[in-house]
Amino acid sequence: MASADKNPLVPMLGTITKIIDETPDVKTFHVTTADGKPFTPKPGQLAMLSLIPVGEGMFSITWQGDDYLEFSIKKVGVLTDALHDADVGTTVGIRGPYGNSFPVEIMKGKDLLFIGGGIGLAPLRSLINHCIVNRDEFGKLEVLYGARSPADLVFKYDLFDNWPKVRDMEVYVTVDRGDDDWKGKVGFVPAYLEELKPSPEGKVAITCGPPIMIKYVLQTLEKLGFNEDQVITTLEMRMKCGIGKCGRCNIGSQFICLDGPVFSLAQLKKLPPEW
Amino acid sequence: MNEITGLMRKKAKELLEKGVVERVIGWEKGMFFYSTTPVVIDKPEETEKLVWDDFAINNLAIYLLDKQNKEKKVALFVKGCDSRGVVRMIQDKQVKRENLYLIGVPCPGLKDPKTAVRGYYKDAGQVPKAKKCQECLHPNPVLYDEMLGSPVEEPQQIDRFAEVRELEKKSTDKKYAYWKEQADKCLRCFACRNICPACSCPECIFDCSKPRWLDKEVSTVQNQFFHMIRMWHVADRCIECGECERVCPAGLPLMQLNRKLLKDINELFGPYEAGMDLEQRPPLTQYDTGDPEEFM
Amino acid sequence: MKAVPKDKLPALLEELSKEGDLYVPSQAGEMSRFVPWKRDVKLDLEHNTTMSPKELLFPQTEVIYNYKFGEENTVEPPSPGSDKIILFGVRPCDVQAIRCLDEVFLTRTYVDNYYQEKRDRLIIISLGCTAAEDTCFCKDMGVNPVEAEGADIVIFDLDGEYGFEAKTDKGKEIAKKLSSFLEETNKEKPAAPSFSLEVNSEGIVEKLQKMFEHPIWEEVSQKCICCGTCTFLCPSCHCFDINSKNIDATKGFKYRTWDACVFDDYALMAGGHDVRPSKVERIRNRFLHKLQFFQERYGLFLCTGCGRCLRECPVGTNIAAFINRLEEVTVDG
Repeated sequence: MASADKNPLVPMLGTITKIIDETPDVKTFHVTTADGKPFTPKPGQLAMLSLIPVGEGMFSITWQGDDYLEFSIKKVGVLTDALHDADVGTTVGIRGPYGNSFPVEIMKGKDLLFIGGGIGLAPLRSLINHCIVNRDEFGKLEVLYGARSPADLVFKYDLFDNWPKVRDMEVYVTVDRGDDDWKGKVGFVPAYLEELKPSPEGKVAITCGPPIMIKYVLQTLEKLGFNEDQVITTLEMRMKCGIGKCGRCNIGSQFICLDGPVFSLAQLKKLPPEW
Repeated sequence: MNEITGLMRKKAKELLEKGVVERVIGWEKGMFFYSTTPVVIDKPEETEKLVWDDFAINNLAIYLLDKQNKEKKVALFVKGCDSRGVVRMIQDKQVKRENLYLIGVPCPGLKDPKTAVRGYYKDAGQVPKAKKCQECLHPNPVLYDEMLGSPVEEPQQIDRFAEVRELEKKSTDKKYAYWKEQADKCLRCFACRNICPACSCPECIFDCSKPRWLDKEVSTVQNQFFHMIRMWHVADRCIECGECERVCPAGLPLMQLNRKLLKDINELFGPYEAGMDLEQRPPLTQYDTGDPEEFM
Repeated sequence: MKAVPKDKLPALLEELSKEGDLYVPSQAGEMSRFVPWKRDVKLDLEHNTTMSPKELLFPQTEVIYNYKFGEENTVEPPSPGSDKIILFGVRPCDVQAIRCLDEVFLTRTYVDNYYQEKRDRLIIISLGCTAAEDTCFCKDMGVNPVEAEGADIVIFDLDGEYGFEAKTDKGKEIAKKLSSFLEETNKEKPAAPSFSLEVNSEGIVEKLQKMFEHPIWEEVSQKCICCGTCTFLCPSCHCFDINSKNIDATKGFKYRTWDACVFDDYALMAGGHDVRPSKVERIRNRFLHKLQFFQERYGLFLCTGCGRCLRECPVGTNIAAFINRLEEVTVDG
């Protein structure tokens, strides 16, 4: 990964090969290079993706195919606006993979509860899909996911079609506000979690979402009896270099790009509460 | 302890105790004989920190723009230059007059800690008066609720545009070379902008990322652009407190830029000094049928 | 110990300049910094420079790669230099800062190629301090004020001559080339200077670990105007930003620039979330990075006691005073 002769700040050039409209402000991009898949990331790892003349940003790798990496990106600023305007065939820069990854080893044989909010399902999806591909290695899979509105639900094809078909897998979806066609659950993710009352027995909970959601989800999980090692989250922070030099993404002495983005609640509690 | 310091502490304590204000902004003594720094005081018992001495040179008006002070009732000690900064902010509706209790301090002209540092001087008496204070025309506060001490004599014989006149004599090429040399020294630390009581925009053009007007690249062109735009943005708001030039770690002669525009404004629109009078609107923010229009 | 008589220093520097790009401390207008040596450059060996020598290893603006888009798309980092970079007269505080930068840029999984290629070419000739300014507190931050650890050659002011001691292989190689200027001296190395500023840094890491939520941060940040003076003059501040510059529609470059953790947009994410929304959190992060986090990660203080921020801060924020304030703070457990 980090070889001495390779300059880690210089990206490979790649191409956008496919674009999927997820929601009004989220699109999923497939990126490939002339040599095929840029690299083979582990679930939860990150990559620096750039539209070179515009800018560069760190994104979680949502999933990977044989010859592409997949990124689900919300339109929130200069770079992501430009990415949303890009067409198939656009040249992008890509470097990585960065960060640690989900501790898959400790999850083996366990029931897994994924709790996501908004675009926060994107980083979880790499692990969810990993578990589906390696279905026998894990116990029951449950996904609790919420978004602001039905239109804002990402990966609808997975939530309502692919994942419910998987053996021993449940998907719970909620929205903050419904609309005329919405027949499902309405309410915030932490409240739904409290209502579902998952037992901590033999389970690992993995959560990602807006900071405020994460805060309440962590509180709820602790209330439900999950201990600090049973709860895993993946954090987001402004990043520039991705290699632990530029100083930007620190929480205390840890860098999200290098030591994170995945932390157990036990690890998180040792850090300053600045995330 | 000097007399003004005693009066400051007494007044600040009284204002906090009576609940006239929630917060007092003044100066306190720092680590060295030459460091006197801004201080924010919320508790009556902490008013003993306040001092007034040769190095109370920071213009305190900028602290009124601080988010944490904006909606508070604040007492502020003001020298001539601080008070003019406050006038400008009130005119721009950045602060509310009724939230302020201004305590005027007539200013004898102060000394710059950055001149005193590095051990060339052993005590305050040896340190020369700061450049900005040598150029000051209005040492007495122009707006205050009460004044500590009696006004000092206002200097008459200062030609504030003397340096600009000298620069104007240079050829265009020489002027360009001079300003290029200055721009090349700039570190873009934004101390000049952040210390400036006239730079009061809640979002500064230089921080705007969409679009990004100013590249983060520190180069001659970007630095020239930065200083050109900055000087225009404060053109008729600059109260000539000289803080930008004083704090610049690279020693850029920034008041020459500010005064060049003020000189032009004076020549085009008549005598003008910013922040002298709450009722006088800056010439570039108003229209008058008598305005010169040969440039249109 | 070897020594070079002071009147032979210009000739020695001339000889040294044949070995590579030689930089010396010099007053340049209001500001002093390390400048390329020329015969007519006026050396300033009395005071440390306003700008630290970090700009030679880690320039304020540095191209990461040039790019061209067209029939063929390319990204090409600039080619590395080849000449030695010789820094003459670096103070021990600044040598220590280079050690800090080495930790950041050369260790922990990734190596920063841009820093490394310059660092590999670097030769540090450090001038031991025989006097301390009133803003100096290096000895309390783990620095030897006379003999800098990490220097290739150390020189000492011994009145009429400069003591000269090569410390590393690189230094010894240079010393060999300068042997015609060096004579034996029987003078002793100078004693450590006396410091008027005393800073008590003992135990502060453990203390600060318990002070994240302490009200002191509110107080120490109140006067900060969030400019970049301290970070840009700091010899060890290493944070940077990365941006693109488009020369035209088909070419441009990606570059990095120094960044300051006190700037408003430093931690602001696209989308508006900011983990350090006000100057209270920013100053806390800056001081803790210097005094706690860097110790935890690399075992060094990221403040080397050079005093630049004490001298130049527009509002008199003083990290030495802050450290000493910690003595009055009591924390639980």
